[in-house]
Amino acid sequence: MENFQQFTEQNVKPIIEFRGVSKTYQTGTHALDDVNIKINNGEFVFVVGSSGAGKSTFMKLIMREEKANTGKITVNGFDLTKMKRKDVPMLRRTMGIVFQDFRLIPTMNVFDNVAFAMRVVGADGRDIRKEVSKALAKVGLGHKARSMPNQLSGGEQQRVGLARALVNSPDLIIADEPTGNVDPNMSYEIVSLLTEINRKGTTILMVTHDHNLVRDFQHRVIMLDSGKIVADNVGGDI
Amino acid sequence: MKLSSIKYLAFEGVRNTWANRLMTLASVGVLVACMTIMGLAVLISENVNLAIGNLEEQNVVIVSMKDYNWALYENDEKDDTASATQSTAESGAENTTQTPAGDKNGIKETDYIIHDEKEAKALCAEIEKLDNVLNAVYVSSEKGLEDAKHLIPDDMKDDFAFLDEENPMSCAAKVTMRDMAKFDETIRQIEKLEGVASITSQSEMANTINALKKGIGVAGFWIIAILVIISLVIVSNTIRITMYSRKLEISIMKAVGATDAFVRIPFVVEGMIIGLISAVISEVLLYFCYRIATETIVKSLGTVVKYGDMAFILFLMFAAIGVFAGVIGSAIMIGKYLKHEGSEFAAI
Repeated sequence: MENFQQFTEQNVKPIIEFRGVSKTYQTGTHALDDVNIKINNGEFVFVVGSSGAGKSTFMKLIMREEKANTGKITVNGFDLTKMKRKDVPMLRRTMGIVFQDFRLIPTMNVFDNVAFAMRVVGADGRDIRKEVSKALAKVGLGHKARSMPNQLSGGEQQRVGLARALVNSPDLIIADEPTGNVDPNMSYEIVSLLTEINRKGTTILMVTHDHNLVRDFQHRVIMLDSGKIVADNVGGDI
Repeated sequence: MKLSSIKYLAFEGVRNTWANRLMTLASVGVLVACMTIMGLAVLISENVNLAIGNLEEQNVVIVSMKDYNWALYENDEKDDTASATQSTAESGAENTTQTPAGDKNGIKETDYIIHDEKEAKALCAEIEKLDNVLNAVYVSSEKGLEDAKHLIPDDMKDDFAFLDEENPMSCAAKVTMRDMAKFDETIRQIEKLEGVASITSQSEMANTINALKKGIGVAGFWIIAILVIISLVIVSNTIRITMYSRKLEISIMKAVGATDAFVRIPFVVEGMIIGLISAVISEVLLYFCYRIATETIVKSLGTVVKYGDMAFILFLMFAAIGVFAGVIGSAIMIGKYLKHEGSEFAAI
């Protein structure tokens, strides 16, 4: 019973929490205005909104690329408002990031691109070989480990990006429009992969413009407009 | 940081150097030029110091002693003065005859201080005790006369024929100083010693040597300082270009949780490699330059500093400057870039 309680508490504990968060850039742009939100461990959340709605700022604040002007942000147990610059790498090691433009290093092959994320955190050679192979197998690219990025399609490149985000077994994956540069079929494949990863317990936060994906995959949807959360629904209802 | 990470980062530094080989080559070229000029400045300064050292050794001071000959000379002068005074007094006073006490020349033992060679050598020993005196060699009056005779030109030898019968030279001490910068102070100390009659020195030469030494020191310092700054700027610039070409990697590194040190180390390694390669090339180049230069001018200069004696120090200097320029240059540059985050890298 006690174990069950612990398990439940851990699982309902918010992995991301915004309390009264506002962000205004030095240029005077009000990007976020008094945002309050909780994203629980194990959730799959779509973040939608038009250009300039505040989606990028929302993600940057979570990754601690930017600091909030007011309010409190907690991610994976880290208080980002009090966090020192030297501690930021520790926060980022608890998350995997998928970029819209893939950001693969063109001079490295697929294996090395994924291994790069493990080398950065000081993993040893044997672990790297084992975990990279597992991550590539998960995204269905085990056979392309020696290929160079320019030999892959857009969808395959994004799957390499996904393998890189997964390889350190993060609690949270942040995907910034991961389907923005791939065809519709591949978009479904990528979100399916993310959904599968989510089923195994990893929290997914995905920014997208693709309403079809949001509707079809039936996850929680946070909608931003002019720096405010205007909708927070479960079930793909925008 | 784990050993595997350090190995990986060092390898990355080597890989960067090779990947940017054109820029590396340009930097190495400029650094080699700077280091070779620095090395030449050091070698020139060492050679001038050697030449000055030789001059210093030649610039001996002759300390004449208050011996019998000195007293005789002094007495002659007194006599001249006395006779002049006497002739003035003769006009109104009765002529009185003065018989000087002492030997046939009228010199008493109390008229001089150095009575024999033993006392002269004791004075030399006393001079040698002074801090700045390297040595004080006793020169007898006979040896002094012999040396003086050598300096008389052949056509004037008849005028000095009297030197074959009498010796007007006092015994002396030939004093060599350690540091010409303390020349005046040492002269004052010698003058205070009992038994010292006079000091013959080339103070102008000493002053010239001091000025030359100071000038070379100041010029050497500024040449090296300016070239170190140039080296720093060159290495920083190379690292900046490397970083620019690797901004994607840096942004990914930061996104996946790399520490600042992890991002920084490959660039520092690259800077160090550039510095060390430049040091080795400069050492070899300088060896050949110096060999050619010394072969040409050695006849006019006499002795020169051997390259072998300076090779290790020069290499240490080059390596230190190269590594310093590499580490500091890259650290300055990467420090600026590390403040950028994720998407900001695309705008750099």
